[in-house]
Amino acid sequence: MFGQLVLSGISQGSIYALVALGMTVVYRATGVVNFAHGEFFMMGAFVLYVLVQLAGLPFYAAAPLAVILMFLCGKAVERALVRPIALAPHIIIAMMTVAVSYLLRGVARVFWGREVLPMPQVFDLPPLQLGEVILTAQDLVIVAVTLALMAGFFLVFHRSRFGRIAQAASANPRGAALIGIDVDAISGNMWGIAAALGAVAGILVAPITLLYPDMGGQVLIRAFAAMTLGGFGNLGGAIAGSLTVGVLEQLAGTYVSTAMIDIFAFIVIIVALILRPNGFFGKAEVARV
Amino acid sequence: MSDAILAAGGGRRGGAARLLAPAAAALALLALPWFTNDYVQYIVNLILAYGLVAVGFNIVLGYLGQLAFANTAFFGVGAYAFGILMERYGLPFWAALLPAALAGGLTGLLIGLPALRLKGYYLAVVTLSLGELLRWGYIHGDTLTHGSSGLAIPPSTLEFLPLPEDAQRYYVLLIVGGLVLWATVNLLRSRVGRAWVAIRENEFAAASLGFSPALYKVAAFGWSGFVVGMGGALFALLIGRVAPESFDLHQLLLQFAIVMVGGLGSVVGSLLGALLLTAAPEVLRNFPGAEEIVFSLLLIGVLLFMPHGLSGMLRRVFPRLRERLYRSRP
Repeated sequence: MFGQLVLSGISQGSIYALVALGMTVVYRATGVVNFAHGEFFMMGAFVLYVLVQLAGLPFYAAAPLAVILMFLCGKAVERALVRPIALAPHIIIAMMTVAVSYLLRGVARVFWGREVLPMPQVFDLPPLQLGEVILTAQDLVIVAVTLALMAGFFLVFHRSRFGRIAQAASANPRGAALIGIDVDAISGNMWGIAAALGAVAGILVAPITLLYPDMGGQVLIRAFAAMTLGGFGNLGGAIAGSLTVGVLEQLAGTYVSTAMIDIFAFIVIIVALILRPNGFFGKAEVARV
Repeated sequence: MSDAILAAGGGRRGGAARLLAPAAAALALLALPWFTNDYVQYIVNLILAYGLVAVGFNIVLGYLGQLAFANTAFFGVGAYAFGILMERYGLPFWAALLPAALAGGLTGLLIGLPALRLKGYYLAVVTLSLGELLRWGYIHGDTLTHGSSGLAIPPSTLEFLPLPEDAQRYYVLLIVGGLVLWATVNLLRSRVGRAWVAIRENEFAAASLGFSPALYKVAAFGWSGFVVGMGGALFALLIGRVAPESFDLHQLLLQFAIVMVGGLGSVVGSLLGALLLTAAPEVLRNFPGAEEIVFSLLLIGVLLFMPHGLSGMLRRVFPRLRERLYRSRP
């Protein structure tokens, strides 16, 4: 029982990690916390649903297409709504992402107002049985994709030229622009990549959960919890935080009360931030007056 | 209620006009119930309640400049405290209003304390979480809140007033809301309001001038909680039922949109925003998604094209409407 719970917690936590990764990418590159990221996740799942169920594409064609479409969607949001106010205080940009989040959710609700859509299974493999613990193919795929993407982004951010340029653009946009870095293009691409990552997460969970317009908010708050544990902008912290939230949530839901699953993330956020306002792995912010 | 502000903000004007305009406005407000039917009166009442809520939310969002979404928490606590006091302890509605607002204010102080350590996004996330946590509490607090079915407000009419129910409530709202608003406007024009704006503009500079950011922040949260809590109690009185779904993210969107469309840091703006947007959900509710799309597009439009909202535009056209942070000349 305990082992099974930990494993499904890890699988859930991997999804949170992917969502947190998308938010971290935007945060690292532009300093913006994207409250609309949950909706990128939701849209990814719904675009896949439309492509597979309504357009009749096979999954292996539909999934990459959905990721590409969401990449473009992310870029469009950045270009049309975020870039015009890029110089405004961060609180204004955060408000904009809140507005975008509601907008995307509203659009989804126009089409799927009160429906809850099931998505057919993709990986029709028999589950692995290890002793008492059962592992489904979907769980394995989720964890593997998350690990691969995490490793990739870690390398990009810390080892590649592009990663260093992106960091420079975020740390000092004006200085970066002065030495010839196209800050706007980097910001646009980072939003695109984040939306694509959100879509990947949405596509991965679509077959194991139901699709509904509010699904993004549920995941977003857990990714937030993970990021507050790990410290905003910290990739390793986001993974550790996500897995912690995923596993603890399963344990609390089983051993304490099922109702705990709904609010566990909120409690984590509140307790973590009151104890450690900069996250458990975060560094204290130094402000220059 | 806005006439007082408009008049006071108008600066030097002719003596007669200075007295006549507010008097005419006050008369119009007092006579309003004779020109409305029940439904219109209900909407007018809701507008007053939301105007109060928006002013309270604006204290933290606009004047103090903190991205805190604790308003749904204050709103819900005020409404539930009001409902529980009436339904469980049998208080008449006029006696339950002040304790309900005080409960909101206490929540504000409690949320204000952790808010001292948090800034920006962290604060937004924590306050959002607290609101959702409280909503979970309403759903699961069976004996007090009656869970997701909500609690019904007992009938609350004033026997001695020979007026229809909605008109009675209108006058209650006018008096209670007017008093709270008057207190808020005066507070904003005092040292306290100036300290809030100073903290918004530059916390370190404000501290160097001797304003303790901690003290004034907690005070802002507390007063915001009181005002929004009072708004919540009045809302409960109008709706006649307190249920968890009234305090969800749609409520947050509506209140947020009212403040932003009206203009950050403007009392007149918040009242204008409430006037324009309060009735919108009544119309939009029948079309799934419409509420979210319309309000989010409004928010996006405001953020992109008029960062100071309607009040900013009005101020440009009529410079006399500028709301000062100091008292009018004697």
